[in-house]
Amino acid sequence: MKVPIEWLNEFVVIDIEPEDLAKRLTMRGLEVEGLEKFAPRFTGVIAGTITRIDAHPNADNLSVCSIDTGREELTVVCGASNISVNDRVPLATVGAALGQDFVVGKRKVRGIESFGMLCSEKELGLTDDHSGIFTLPDAITPGSDLANLPIAHDTVLDVSVPPNRGDCLSVFGIAREVASILRQKAKLPNFTLQTYGDGRVEDELDLAIHDTKACPRYVLKLIKGISLAPSPFWMRRRITRSGMRPINNIVDVTNYVMLELGQPLHAFDFDRLTDSRIEVKVAQGSSNFRTLDSIDRPLETGDILICDGSGPVAVAGIMGGENSEITGATKNMALESAYFNPFSIRATARRLGIRSEASLRFEKGIDIDNVGYAAERAMYLMHELAGGTVVKGQREIFEKTEPRTIYITYSNINGLLGTHISHDAVTRALRSIDLHITKEDENGFLVSVPNFRHDIGETADIIEEISRVHGFEHIPDTSPVAVLKPQKLTQKERFLSLIKEYCLGTGFYEIINFSFFSIKDIENFLIPGDDERSRYVPIMNPISRDWGVMRTMMMPSVLRCMAYNLNRGAKNLRFFEKGKVFFQESAGGISERTMLCFAITGRQKEYSWKEKHSDYDFFDIKGAIEGLVERLGVSCQVEAATEPFLDHGRSADIMIDGIKAGWAGAIRDDILQLYEIEQTIYCAELRFDIILEKGNLTLQYKPIPRYPQSTRDFSFYADDRVPIAILVEKIKGISPLIVSVGIFDMFRKEMRSVSMRVVFQSYEDTLTDERINALQEQIIGELTKIDGISLRA
Amino acid sequence: MDISGLKEKIDSEISRIANIEDLKRVKVSILGRKGLFADYIDQLKTLDKELRRDAGKAINEIKSWADVRLGELEKHFNDIERQKREQDSLIDITMPGTTPVFGKKHPITLTLEEIIRIFASLGFAVAEGPDIETEFYNFESLNIPSDHPARDMQDTFYIRPGVVLRTHTSPVQIRTMEAQLPPVKIIAPGSVYRCDNDISHTPMFHQVEGLMVDKNVRFSDLKGILSIFIHEMFGPDTPLRFRPSYFPFTEPSAEVDIGCVICRGEGCRVCKDTGWLEILGSGMVHPQVFRNVGYDQEEITGFAFGMGVERIAMIKFGIDDIRQFYYNDIRFLSQF
Ligand SMILES: [Zn+2]
Repeated sequence: MKVPIEWLNEFVVIDIEPEDLAKRLTMRGLEVEGLEKFAPRFTGVIAGTITRIDAHPNADNLSVCSIDTGREELTVVCGASNISVNDRVPLATVGAALGQDFVVGKRKVRGIESFGMLCSEKELGLTDDHSGIFTLPDAITPGSDLANLPIAHDTVLDVSVPPNRGDCLSVFGIAREVASILRQKAKLPNFTLQTYGDGRVEDELDLAIHDTKACPRYVLKLIKGISLAPSPFWMRRRITRSGMRPINNIVDVTNYVMLELGQPLHAFDFDRLTDSRIEVKVAQGSSNFRTLDSIDRPLETGDILICDGSGPVAVAGIMGGENSEITGATKNMALESAYFNPFSIRATARRLGIRSEASLRFEKGIDIDNVGYAAERAMYLMHELAGGTVVKGQREIFEKTEPRTIYITYSNINGLLGTHISHDAVTRALRSIDLHITKEDENGFLVSVPNFRHDIGETADIIEEISRVHGFEHIPDTSPVAVLKPQKLTQKERFLSLIKEYCLGTGFYEIINFSFFSIKDIENFLIPGDDERSRYVPIMNPISRDWGVMRTMMMPSVLRCMAYNLNRGAKNLRFFEKGKVFFQESAGGISERTMLCFAITGRQKEYSWKEKHSDYDFFDIKGAIEGLVERLGVSCQVEAATEPFLDHGRSADIMIDGIKAGWAGAIRDDILQLYEIEQTIYCAELRFDIILEKGNLTLQYKPIPRYPQSTRDFSFYADDRVPIAILVEKIKGISPLIVSVGIFDMFRKEMRSVSMRVVFQSYEDTLTDERINALQEQIIGELTKIDGISLRA
Repeated sequence: MDISGLKEKIDSEISRIANIEDLKRVKVSILGRKGLFADYIDQLKTLDKELRRDAGKAINEIKSWADVRLGELEKHFNDIERQKREQDSLIDITMPGTTPVFGKKHPITLTLEEIIRIFASLGFAVAEGPDIETEFYNFESLNIPSDHPARDMQDTFYIRPGVVLRTHTSPVQIRTMEAQLPPVKIIAPGSVYRCDNDISHTPMFHQVEGLMVDKNVRFSDLKGILSIFIHEMFGPDTPLRFRPSYFPFTEPSAEVDIGCVICRGEGCRVCKDTGWLEILGSGMVHPQVFRNVGYDQEEITGFAFGMGVERIAMIKFGIDDIRQFYYNDIRFLSQF
């Protein structure tokens, strides 16, 4: 909400600097987001009086004016038609600067020398009005420098009003808060409404309300014989600086009073109201209604409608109808000032997609006690600006409600805030914001809440007000009086922290992707319809189709992220992500699962002067996974790949205790192409829930053996049909003295040859050659029994 | 037995040593089993007791002296030898070293872990909740009524009517209070979602929610705890202020600002010339929230707070576009 300080100053005396005011409002909870300063954008402009206007001899649409500046009489050629003799006007004298780069010079206009120019409001940077010469108030003495006048200066506060403070959506509302800050009392505008004639509104207009819940207060007033015209400068300027656009005097007054007092108003052309009556109804069923912007709006049950004798003339609080709007021909006007149910207005405004300044205020709840005063204020201003006769009296229906009262104790207040605010200070704080104490006892008091404070309903609301006025900066910082309890990491946190530590140590960069992806990703990855990963959870209102559904697997987003980097010159990447995937379950349920995803491409280092790095292959990703699960006390096995999106020549399913815990391998190259990736990507995805369930972080010391180890190397020819892991398992199974089996070479000539190193260790004694030899024979015997395995000399 | 001239003789032999080979030879000829001293020691046996003792002492002195001289020489030749070897195998130490590979944490994780560390040290435990929430947990139970502006479609991702992607981690407050009795002292980190995508908004971002509920928890405690947090996170000299604000689920509500780290309070584009940066929202738990979870709001009080992790990371690291966190550009990630 934009608040010109010049306007604010009408209700409360602003005797501090704008910056200070902004800071203090902010510390009251009305954050000032900006200060817009208006300073003259001109020099050398003075006030003058037109003493003579003659037609220009050589041009029909120009006139030659004599201007009295108080010191001299100057001749100025002027093209505007809104001037007359004795008008006080702004004269840009020779040498005056307007705006950034326009300097007024002495020049001949069609043969007549002009000593300056008369200016419009726009040329002076005051408003956007360029329709004619700016007419100054007569009070401004000729010769005075316009740059020194108050109209050329102002500061506008941009106040962010919290959603619960509808009462601050007006200059007066802000003034109430400022008054509390400055220890003043905000004063309402003072005026006397003149009425004429014998007629009374009650004789000319009928009013009925069908539902006082929807509309507990409605006031109708009448003014006759008005003339539409532009509003005066001061009003247009305030409306403009408050962020609205001036239209004409009647519309401007309704907007002006809304900005001033927070009460939205609506003007009807009285002569277009059938049967001269207004009825407030709540719509039953659907219909259409043409609003004044010439759009047919669908109305639904529950909308509050303002009707005349023939049907709707306005959608209450939102927009008037074309059938009753003020036009250039309007002579007599009926003015509505009312209170509508905030919930109804909000529902209708949302459905119709109209968020006007008026509906915004009705939605937040306006001051029901102010409805009548605002109507009077508007009538007064309309009469001032548009002439005519204000008809005596009014039509009004007002369903009054009891004012709210709240009981609160001093210990409530200081107990919750941790303060020692005195009784006096509490009373003073509350009174300063119009919360009055109606009853008191030794423990506490009863507060009555004014109707404009829709946000105050219980003791906590009162405490909030006291804390706000008292000032948060005056509330101490304390340590909670509570029992200290050490907080242990959960098992999940311990696992995740170990996983991150492992990934960092093994060269993986952590990435974080959005939790959504595209249905296209599921298709790209060839996920079949019976796979859980095709049971995606869609988003009703996604930002884009690329982020249309919750992801059911990590890899597509990780792949996009790799593509992003590869397209920008990266060649070697090692990424990991911990994230959630989501599945639609039967009966509308949704499950969430934490996943770990790894992806590598290129090689460990692009180059090294010392050693050669070869490109990553399947065993790099497999090893990364094996190392990880081992760190968490789990061992995993591999099985033939079943994932449809993997290259089955170099991929595997990852099994933990016979359960599929994930997969590892190379993405099919035709899928990589869909993501515009040209180099091989090795990746893996693991279910964190299974690792968490099977893992074991218990640390238990095992004595270091006191006897030496022995090693023996073996070489076998192994048929490709025999997985090497079977040989390793077989050897390990032969004796507990065999503590490790490693592969130190593998090559292929006609047959595959594999060399293994077996380590023997006893915890009881030194193993003799005889015992090791016996085991060695046993190993050779067991292995060569396998079909396809033979000993290589 | 005559030992005069022995020392001089040995000295002249040692003086003629030119290299390690000479040294080895001389050493044998003097100290060896058939060397000079062996001879003398043999002769000692022929002397009578008195003379033997005096002569023995004199010989031993000379022998120790010879030992030291030869030892020094040996060290000298070894040094020369080693220096030569070192010169022969001199490497260019300016060639690049072989760095071990290591990964890096995402800056969001770094920030999140720092926040968690600070609150854990103040006795807060970590709690979690689902990303896909019911409107009840995300809104109603937090006193955000159905007509509140926060519930507009344009802010919230809907899965279906009644089910949303959580717009904040505050539902974890409710889930925790429903599951346990006071005292409660938790923080809830996690992903949250809002329909926005520009230089200062991403549709997914991270928040940390905090909640402390007990007997006699005061607004001043909220100030105390959050001041500790800010000073841990941004440094002990960081100016901060609490200012009144509005959240449906707290009352009184406070926004916490820190002095702008860019302009040090002078006013700049980042702080919109205010000299302050909003860092977190907080307040005393609204009595309605306690009623919603069945806590006796006459007996207990509490405070809650929430902060955006990306925002804190942006301020800490000087990042000006929030989307950078989600491009995962390696040139970005490698800076943290
Ligand atoms: Zn700044």
